[in-house]
Amino acid sequence: MTLPANATRLPHTVSDQPFDPDAIYKYTDAQKALFEASQLRLMWWKFRRHKPALISGIFLAVLYFSILISELLAPYNLETRNSSHIYAPPQAIHLFHNGEFIGPFVYGFDYKLNMENLKREYVPNLEKVQPLRFFCSGEKYKFWGLFEASFRFVCPAEKGTMFLLGTDRLGRDVLSRIIYGARISLTIGLLGVGVSLVLGIVIGGMAGYYGGLFDVLSQRLIEVIQSLPSIPLWLALAAILPITWSPIVVYFGITVILGLLDWTGLARTVRSKLLALREEDYVSAAQVMGASSRRIVFRHLIPGFASHLIATATIAIPTMILGETTLSFLGLGLRAPITSWGVLLTEAQNINAVALYPWLLWPVLPVILVVLAYNFFGDGLRDAADPYK
Amino acid sequence: MKIFAVLLALLAMLSIPARADEAPLLAELVKAGTLPPEAERLPKEPRVMTIDEATGRTVGKRGGTIRTLMSEQGDLRLMTVYGYARLVAYNRSIEMEPDILLGYENDKNRVFTFHLRPGHKWSDGTPFTAEDFRYQWEDILTDKDMERGGLDSALLVNGKGPKFEVIDDLTVRYTWEEPNPLFLPALASARPLDIYSASAYLKQFHAKYADPDKLAAEVAKERVKDWTRLNIRKSRSYRFENPDLPTLQPWQNKTYSPANRYVFERNPYYHRVDQNGAQLPYVDQIVINIAESSIIPAKTGSGESDLQERYLSFADYTFLKEGEKRNNYTVRLWTVGKGAAVALYPNLNTNDAGWRALFRDARFRRALSLGIDRTQINQVLFMGLAKEGASTVLPGSPLFRDELGSAYAEYDPEKANALLDEIGLKRNAAGIRLMPDGRPLDLIIESTGESSLEADVLELVTSDWADLGVKLLTRTSQRDIFRSRVAAGETNMSVWAGVDNGAPTADFSPQEFVPTDPYQLQWPMWGTYVSTQGDAGQKVDDPAAQKLVDLYKQWLVSEDIETRKKIWEEILDIHADQVFSIGIVTATLVPVVVSNKLHNVPAEGISSFDPYGYFGVYEMDAFWMD
Repeated sequence: MTLPANATRLPHTVSDQPFDPDAIYKYTDAQKALFEASQLRLMWWKFRRHKPALISGIFLAVLYFSILISELLAPYNLETRNSSHIYAPPQAIHLFHNGEFIGPFVYGFDYKLNMENLKREYVPNLEKVQPLRFFCSGEKYKFWGLFEASFRFVCPAEKGTMFLLGTDRLGRDVLSRIIYGARISLTIGLLGVGVSLVLGIVIGGMAGYYGGLFDVLSQRLIEVIQSLPSIPLWLALAAILPITWSPIVVYFGITVILGLLDWTGLARTVRSKLLALREEDYVSAAQVMGASSRRIVFRHLIPGFASHLIATATIAIPTMILGETTLSFLGLGLRAPITSWGVLLTEAQNINAVALYPWLLWPVLPVILVVLAYNFFGDGLRDAADPYK
Repeated sequence: MKIFAVLLALLAMLSIPARADEAPLLAELVKAGTLPPEAERLPKEPRVMTIDEATGRTVGKRGGTIRTLMSEQGDLRLMTVYGYARLVAYNRSIEMEPDILLGYENDKNRVFTFHLRPGHKWSDGTPFTAEDFRYQWEDILTDKDMERGGLDSALLVNGKGPKFEVIDDLTVRYTWEEPNPLFLPALASARPLDIYSASAYLKQFHAKYADPDKLAAEVAKERVKDWTRLNIRKSRSYRFENPDLPTLQPWQNKTYSPANRYVFERNPYYHRVDQNGAQLPYVDQIVINIAESSIIPAKTGSGESDLQERYLSFADYTFLKEGEKRNNYTVRLWTVGKGAAVALYPNLNTNDAGWRALFRDARFRRALSLGIDRTQINQVLFMGLAKEGASTVLPGSPLFRDELGSAYAEYDPEKANALLDEIGLKRNAAGIRLMPDGRPLDLIIESTGESSLEADVLELVTSDWADLGVKLLTRTSQRDIFRSRVAAGETNMSVWAGVDNGAPTADFSPQEFVPTDPYQLQWPMWGTYVSTQGDAGQKVDDPAAQKLVDLYKQWLVSEDIETRKKIWEEILDIHADQVFSIGIVTATLVPVVVSNKLHNVPAEGISSFDPYGYFGVYEMDAFWMD
């Protein structure tokens, strides 16, 4: 839509004359509430009806809240070793002892080394009743590395143990490590997806809206990036990260790597959607009204396929979590002492864990649950955000 | 002036009646006339092995197949190690005996005369004679075209090689001007020094003998640069990679690479017989299946191996034990024969000047050693069944003394911290000590990542050293890269096992404790310097290390056992005092899985590459299957 050379663009005008929407037809309050509801409110109403999505959303919210207070939730510190309880199996929580109610407690272990097969054998000793303590003062920790504290929601009995999911080869509590691992595993997805969303929308949006040389260049770049085999590329990038970097910096490095590789698909979809949508009448109308490119893209075009973006993003997050797990499992991603679910699974990567210490595989469960929850959540969000449905 | 004369008379006295029956694998061939009968295949005087109650063994029947698991083609070399047919070989008390040789004379470690067995043949039936020694010496080892970069260090005394003579068809002689005590041990080693080769076969790949056109065609076919490369490729007997290369080992490879399943068949011309005259080995075939090393414990536990020690670790014991009844095998625990199961090596030749200065300070090395809680490591990883101690010889060695093992090996973080303070390493706000040049003490330990044991030990050491203000980081790289990086001085510290031969007598060379080899992890450059007579590497510029080199030189020329013992003691004392390597646990145990159908495998043994050759000195050719 080219303008004559001597023409100037009209200013963007919206009439400020009074306007009575009820002039033709009088709506009931209920109708009014529906019709006047904001886009977000409409989405929420639709989302609410999608029960699996709602439950998944709550589950994820709880998990994300938990990473703020991992120290308070975990019964032990991340690196606490209990050398007298190596490879201890999970301790079950009981409520009744000899028919008498005494609240949640675990039975302490009797340890014996089986000299026949050199297996550490732990037998619950029904004499050793170790009631769990709640809102208690447990092992000292540094809250977010800032200040020392000892308050915990649940602690083992004094001189007792509480390994609800057992311990690993160095006597560390698996449950506590899973709780701490959530910090890394859940956020690596967000950061990575954030990077790839921004890159995808900006590059894809510009390519789709402006077209021309930028489009050609960006599409070729995307093709190059997509044609690189991902695992060797991860290998190379992970090897570049210097070993002396602190694990936390390495963690950010991995996140950015995952994000930098992941935006291409999104950019392509954004571009093709924009190519289709920019021919719509309402875009022409906005252009005629003199709206700027930015306003047209962000105000008129993006909401048109927001549902798609949301779905992509929510499905990308579990992909990132799985990506981190894969990388760490292969020994390329995070490494001890950083503890993520992938790192925990790496440590369970041998026949002994499967055959003798199956509780070391527990970190699989949160990975599966989180991935499933994100998929349901994304499904519900997409349905809710789709204006055509 | 003693002359070690090993006499042939003993063997000659025992006239063994030739047996009429054949090993099952060969019976058909003999019947069909494609293979001569056993009596004609054996040397006129075979080596008679005594397989009796004294060694806890029974005379077996021949036939059957042993299945075992390996992780790559390169592991085929273990068949040379397990087979352990050597010119001279150690018996299970680690005394040297002639094996392939009928006998030898050793005049003061200067003149070695070897007598071959009359009628001894290679696995393809061609005679094994002095010509095979002459070919290897004249046309390979000292041939200019072969560009071997000089003789092996075991053949050199003060940079000079021996004089080689062929006395007659079955007798050869090597003569040095100065004593060479390393010669015979090198021949008996798990990785033997090659001083003979199958010349009848290999001459077709040597420009001096081969038809030039045929040779050029072979070079083109194998896609190698020239005939020397072709010759090398065809002649690597240790690696067992060329199925056409004749061998003297009990089993020979029959499978061309690449493959996932290698079949080794009995050598029909093998030179050993049992006391009843039956040609060894008892077992007809060894089948090697290639599997990823991390799943070898799982496969072994499900009964896919009849004899397995490779790639099993102590941590697998419980799992393997569970499968014992179901899969009809027994798990035995052998003692690892290395000086230490895990040891840390500060690289005294690192390129990093700051670290080099620190590592050269004995107080720093002692402090690091004192700061490790070995008892905890032993309890956590070995259930207390290993021994805690420095990297030295094993308690089983006559050279062992308690004070060697306990030197700087007790857990004393206070003393360690005091030593580090004394050196002047101050702590920063985070509690990490600073190097004199201001960098934090981030000590990167290089590992091959091959054993999970190393990783676990390092994890425990990490927290111990954090108390000292030393931050430990681990970097893993593949073994070849690891070795070349260490040798190039690009690493600061590495983790590996202790010395290979953990239980030496004073007659064994102390070379593993002295800078003698470019692959030594604590002083690669000094090792290069000494082994190349000063042509490469760096001059030894540490008084204690120089003292070791001097002592080693004295050991080389000393002739009586008392002097040698004194030298050994002094060397070990220097090591205990200087902590050139930081040993952590020793005498660890390793599971050996043996099928219940397989007999004559010792219930207890020492698992070591050199000098035991794993199953080598336990005479794997006498193992037999039901």
